[in-house]
Amino acid sequence: MEKQEQRKWFLRLSEALTGYGQFQLEGTGNVDDFLATLEEIVKPDITNRLLLEFSKLWENDKDGNTLEAGIRNHLMTDPLLGPVARNLIKLWYLGSWYQLPALWRENFGSHAGDYDHVISPRSYVEGLVWDAIKAHPQGAKQPGFGTWAFPPEVD
Amino acid sequence: MSETKDKIYDVVIVGSGIAGSLIAKYLTQKGKTVLLLEAGTGSYDLSQNWKDYQEYMKTFFMSQEKGVNSAYPVNLDAPSPSLNSLSTPPDDSGYFVQMGPQNFGSNFVRINGGTTQHWLGTCLRMLPDDFRMKSTYGVEVDWPITYDDLENWYGFAEYEIGVSADVDEQDYLGIKFPKGYRYPMRKIPQSYLDQKLTEGLKGKTIEFENKEYPVKVVSTPQGRNSTPDPDYRPVGFEPTEKWKKGEKGFQVEGAVSPWDLGARCEGNSNCIPICPVQAKYNATRSLFGAKRENMEVKFQAVASEVEFDPETNEVKAIWYKRYEDKNSPEYTLEKAVGKVFVLAANAIENAKLMLASEKEKAHPLMGKNLMDHPVLLGWGLLPEPIGAFRGPGSTSGIPSLRNGDFRKNRAAFRIEIGNWGWSWPDSAPYKPLIQSVDEYGRFGKNLRETFKAETQRQFRFGFLIEQDPQVSNSVTISPNYKDRLGNYRPIINYNFSDYTKNGFVAALKTYKEIFKWLNVENYTNYNPSESTYFEYEGIGFSWGGAGHIVGTHKMGLTEKDGVVDSYQRSFDHANLFIAGCGSMPTIGTSNPTLTMAALCLRTAA
Ligand SMILES: Cc1cc2nc3c(=O)[nH]c(=O)nc-3n(C[C@H](O)[C@H](O)[C@H](O)COP(=O)(O)OP(=O)(O)OC[C@H]3O[C@@H](n4cnc5c(N)ncnc54)[C@H](O)[C@@H]3O)c2cc1C
Ligand code: SF4
Repeated sequence: MEKQEQRKWFLRLSEALTGYGQFQLEGTGNVDDFLATLEEIVKPDITNRLLLEFSKLWENDKDGNTLEAGIRNHLMTDPLLGPVARNLIKLWYLGSWYQLPALWRENFGSHAGDYDHVISPRSYVEGLVWDAIKAHPQGAKQPGFGTWAFPPEVD
Repeated sequence: MSETKDKIYDVVIVGSGIAGSLIAKYLTQKGKTVLLLEAGTGSYDLSQNWKDYQEYMKTFFMSQEKGVNSAYPVNLDAPSPSLNSLSTPPDDSGYFVQMGPQNFGSNFVRINGGTTQHWLGTCLRMLPDDFRMKSTYGVEVDWPITYDDLENWYGFAEYEIGVSADVDEQDYLGIKFPKGYRYPMRKIPQSYLDQKLTEGLKGKTIEFENKEYPVKVVSTPQGRNSTPDPDYRPVGFEPTEKWKKGEKGFQVEGAVSPWDLGARCEGNSNCIPICPVQAKYNATRSLFGAKRENMEVKFQAVASEVEFDPETNEVKAIWYKRYEDKNSPEYTLEKAVGKVFVLAANAIENAKLMLASEKEKAHPLMGKNLMDHPVLLGWGLLPEPIGAFRGPGSTSGIPSLRNGDFRKNRAAFRIEIGNWGWSWPDSAPYKPLIQSVDEYGRFGKNLRETFKAETQRQFRFGFLIEQDPQVSNSVTISPNYKDRLGNYRPIINYNFSDYTKNGFVAALKTYKEIFKWLNVENYTNYNPSESTYFEYEGIGFSWGGAGHIVGTHKMGLTEKDGVVDSYQRSFDHANLFIAGCGSMPTIGTSNPTLTMAALCLRTAA
């Protein structure tokens, strides 16, 4: 897959998997790092297959209401791609790569770099989980003196 | 072997934690020359210290576990205990050799400033009855001193740490203050959760042994910067030479980073393991308050043996192993000579060093009566969102059950209210997020929304249960267990008495009752697979350590019932002080460091 194409589909896939818009995802500054992480650990071949499968679901989603079911029923159940997609969600939310399941490694090979680790200080700080829980990363982006006395944010 | 030639110091101190740093600060200000030996890495240079601190932050960000010691470099030349991989005892895979039957669940960190680098900063006073448990309740022991003897030293320690609290909220269960006393800083704002619990528990009481006790939420005094009190002035003690008579208003002194000097707590929610803005007190503040011209600090210097004069029994020197590179096992043996010696290496390391040095001549109570606060958690979901994961780890507690006639029969406890959701009981948000994705198959908007809804109502109580002193709970050494530099590793025997276990049972009753009043959905679950799991009276419990390592060189009236006297002076060696939480004969229900700091200031005077 051509680089620019690849990045485009990676962003779209990330949006669908995380529930965060592309604007917010770009804002983390982590898009390129995470794509590179994926390519490095599961290799370009599997990365591209994931993106390609997703692009087919996207293209088929003519009226905009089948994508979610497509992801659930095809992508997430795929023995090769499902675990990789789930890892991508964890990467976005927590900033860490988690080792792929044992069965996956048995069937599709174990790769250097496939162990639990934080990608970078930024990947941790920009983890989506902190926004999801309406807090802030522990140890960064401090909300200011006394803010913990305020009522929680509701939408 | 080499000797640190010529120089004879007035005082040689081992350890740069709060105990060692406070003593060093006040002795150097009084004109004594001090050599401080610190086993861990660090620097006595402000700008280097700032750089080190930034390194700790980076290490923390990059750490996968983000545990208690995760911000600090691994150092096999001066190892620290890890809590990441406790397994059922006996277990010698970590730094501690855990002999059981219970695991010892607390740790410390060997680095400049010691364990205050990752303490939470809770600064409660002990209750007057905690000092006289034998005479009041017929259990445990009495201290050789009373609350009254320490009252003004408490004030001094609160000044030194820079404690934030409002005095009119803290005079409960016999705690008293001299007339006109104020804390240096105003109280830290109570979290939204605290406010909700205050409302929900208004007027509630709970029954123990046919007596009703109030269940009242009170803000907790904390060693983190709030708004300095402009009307502050020391009452009952004279702080430093710098404090001018008649002066008013508290100023934060000596924060390690010149750029963030005196920063207020910004709600980084990261006090354990590291406060990014140094709003939380750590002992390097006191260390940097020492009079420089009288002070020498040697880092990477691990005290390994105390040498005694066979005639007088006084200490002649302390031998220490100096390493250049923490990644290499090489070291040189050096010797520090002084007139007076202070061991302030923490309760476990102090006892270990004395046992290694005195061998069969060691005091029979050396290393005995090891205590901690086992923490029993109770967690659940409140009916409404309360904004979990914001602010300091805890801003309030329920201290009203710290004392009562029930102490004749069972341990008391203090309840800590946790602001960080289920981070302790369930490693939230990490573990539940992974579970949502891997087990429940959630993704996209659904993941984002359900996760928010689930976490916003999370809260937990921590019951810090008093442990009574037992000689069988101990630190010992054996030639079979040494670290890389050939220093002994602590061997720990640890268990709970029925007195303490009865405290667990009462804690369980308490949170169940409170959860009912507040309509909390209870998610508490003590898993038999956990390494701290035990059963008592048919109930299963698991618990965690509090980091409150107490009691290994207890003070007494005479050498028969104590290793040290009330000034922490060794009965056996006239020029040796053994300082720190190890000197405390009982632990009560307060986090021990404030009391220990008061004792150390009294020692330094
Ligand atoms: C997670 C956690 C949270 C805590 N929260 C609180 C709290 O909220 N409130 C509270 O009151 N307490 C709390 N504590 C306890 C508190 O941190 C300790 O009581 C306190 O820091 C002990 O101070 P210290 O100076 O005696 O020992 P330490 O701080 O452990 O310092 C000892 C120093 O001596 C050095 N040393 C050790 N061995 C040698 C040797 N052989 N030679 C030379 N140097 C040596 C060490 O490197 C270290 O720097 C907490 C502890 C933990 C672990
Ligand atoms: S809440 Fe944050 S700023 Fe405040 S003391 Fe803790 S780590 Fe520091």
